[in-house]
Amino acid sequence: MPMFNLSGMSNESKEKNYDVVIVGAGPGGLSSAIYTARAKLKTLVLEKAIEGGQINLTNMVEDYPGFVSISGEELADKFVEHAREFGVSFANEEAMEMDLSGDVKKIKTDFGNEYTAKVVIMDTGSNPRKLGVPGEDEFANHGVSYCAVCDGSFFKDKPVVVIGGGDSAIEEGIYLSKISSKVSVIHRRDKLRAQKIVQERAFKIPNMNFFWNSVVTEIGGGNSVEYVLLKDVKSGKITKHSTSGAFIYVGLVPNSKLVENAVETDDHGFIITDEHMETKVKGVYAVGDVRKTVLRQVVTAAADGAIAAVDLTKYFD
Amino acid sequence: MAALLSEEDKKYLVDLFGKELKSKVKILFFKSDDKDECQYCDVSRQMLEELAETNEKIDIEIHDFNDESELVERYKVEMMPAVIMLDKDGNDMRVRFYGVPSGYEFSTLIEDIIAISKGGDVELSSATLEMLENVDSPIKLQVFVTPTCPYCPKAVAMAQKLAMKSKYIQGEMVEANEFPELSMRYNVSSVPHIIINEGAGEFVGALPEDAFVEQVMSVVKGA
Ligand SMILES: Cc1cc2nc3c(=O)[nH]c(=O)nc-3n(C[C@H](O)[C@H](O)[C@H](O)COP(=O)(O)OP(=O)(O)OC[C@H]3O[C@@H](n4cnc5c(N)ncnc54)[C@H](O)[C@@H]3O)c2cc1C
Repeated sequence: MPMFNLSGMSNESKEKNYDVVIVGAGPGGLSSAIYTARAKLKTLVLEKAIEGGQINLTNMVEDYPGFVSISGEELADKFVEHAREFGVSFANEEAMEMDLSGDVKKIKTDFGNEYTAKVVIMDTGSNPRKLGVPGEDEFANHGVSYCAVCDGSFFKDKPVVVIGGGDSAIEEGIYLSKISSKVSVIHRRDKLRAQKIVQERAFKIPNMNFFWNSVVTEIGGGNSVEYVLLKDVKSGKITKHSTSGAFIYVGLVPNSKLVENAVETDDHGFIITDEHMETKVKGVYAVGDVRKTVLRQVVTAAADGAIAAVDLTKYFD
Repeated sequence: MAALLSEEDKKYLVDLFGKELKSKVKILFFKSDDKDECQYCDVSRQMLEELAETNEKIDIEIHDFNDESELVERYKVEMMPAVIMLDKDGNDMRVRFYGVPSGYEFSTLIEDIIAISKGGDVELSSATLEMLENVDSPIKLQVFVTPTCPYCPKAVAMAQKLAMKSKYIQGEMVEANEFPELSMRYNVSSVPHIIINEGAGEFVGALPEDAFVEQVMSVVKGA
């Protein structure tokens, strides 16, 4: 990981009218941006947090072709650099309101700017799903966390629990095992969903242990987290487990609020598109994690981005 | 020590500063040479010196935290390493970095340098600027971060933009790992964690501009 990272620099231009505005600078949106910029379409990417998106939240990526092993931050950086190279504009702004009905789409941001575009691509990704147990909100920011790379260092040599059994849970658990004294993975089933190679690695780590068929029913403590209550789903027995932190990786909630009244979404809020990534609204596309899809990874987000970008050229012929 | 900034990044900065820097920016750096007292002072110092090499408009002044108490007093420097930015006329722009502005925070430092060289020219909505007009008592915003937190620069930038636009506001980045006692005092365990006026108020997360300003103002109004 570079010690000094410049990927967050915005090269805002004062220009307000674009061919394509992409909301969210995740892998999907950046992939779109590379294609649209190469098609000579004036492209702006809006990003409210950090260019590169959620991939910045993971320590290591080992399943994006071309890189056997690369830190999430570095991969994100490469996506951003690639897009910059072809002249994509970036603005560090959050889209707050969108009018997508007409031929010219309008996007208002938190800085009070209004941008227009003929085509909008939603690449707003997802947020961590909450566990929904007592104590989770009370101790949010005082021991409850959804981001190991952000907050892991506060739990140096302290025990933590990781809740979940998917790729993110186990990978971030492995990351935390290098910082914390002990990582206890709490999973509601009797086996993990994470990739086999990741599981095998986790099982070999001496300070990582597993509570199978267990759910957290409460997070408790004083000023900060001190314990979680675990319920064995088979026996119904409840036990108290001491811990200083609870890292929650139990799925995703799509970031689709902004357009939920404009486009079609499924019951969970994922945006529905056709096979070209276009929504029911002409000129409005969705790519990556926010889309109703069967796999949410960097490689699929990037693929979505390319498909959308090639399809949308039809509006400029 | 080997160079901290890559050749690529240096080239990028030379180009960027060449295009963007208008007038001089002075950076005051406060350090101690005692490693026990300041583990990362030398890293910070070297990074700043490499930065200064990329453009002549960036001036770095190195000061000793322990020996130069008059300056420390004048700028109310609380800890070190500390970075303080002044505009071309030597006016304090109320921007502070405590700890190394490394990782994602490096971008924030660069953007601040550019903004200050343009006389504190930062983009804020007209609603925010109006609110700032009504601020007439000091507000200190300490934004606790870790260098690996992708959401943190947004919060630091917001605090420092407000600082550049209001002479009552000070916007500080605090690297939580480098100041564990302070982090403990405010029970910081998720970042970005924003402390307003030494604990009179606080919130967590990189909020959009209007929500950020609202949080800050709610504390001031309550006072
Ligand atoms: C901990 C963790 C580990 C992971 N590990 C892997 C892995 O090893 N391999 C892999 O392939 N995938 C991994 N993933 C999944 C991968 O990160 C995502 O599938 C991928 O990033 C999705 O890309 P995206 O294009 O949908 O955008 P995202 O990466 O989700 O980015 C969306 C961006 O939109 C921005 N945004 C949202 N709303 C707005 C708005 N209103 N205005 C402006 N900007 C906005 C957000 O700030 C964000 O930066 C991991 C995810 C997590 C959380």
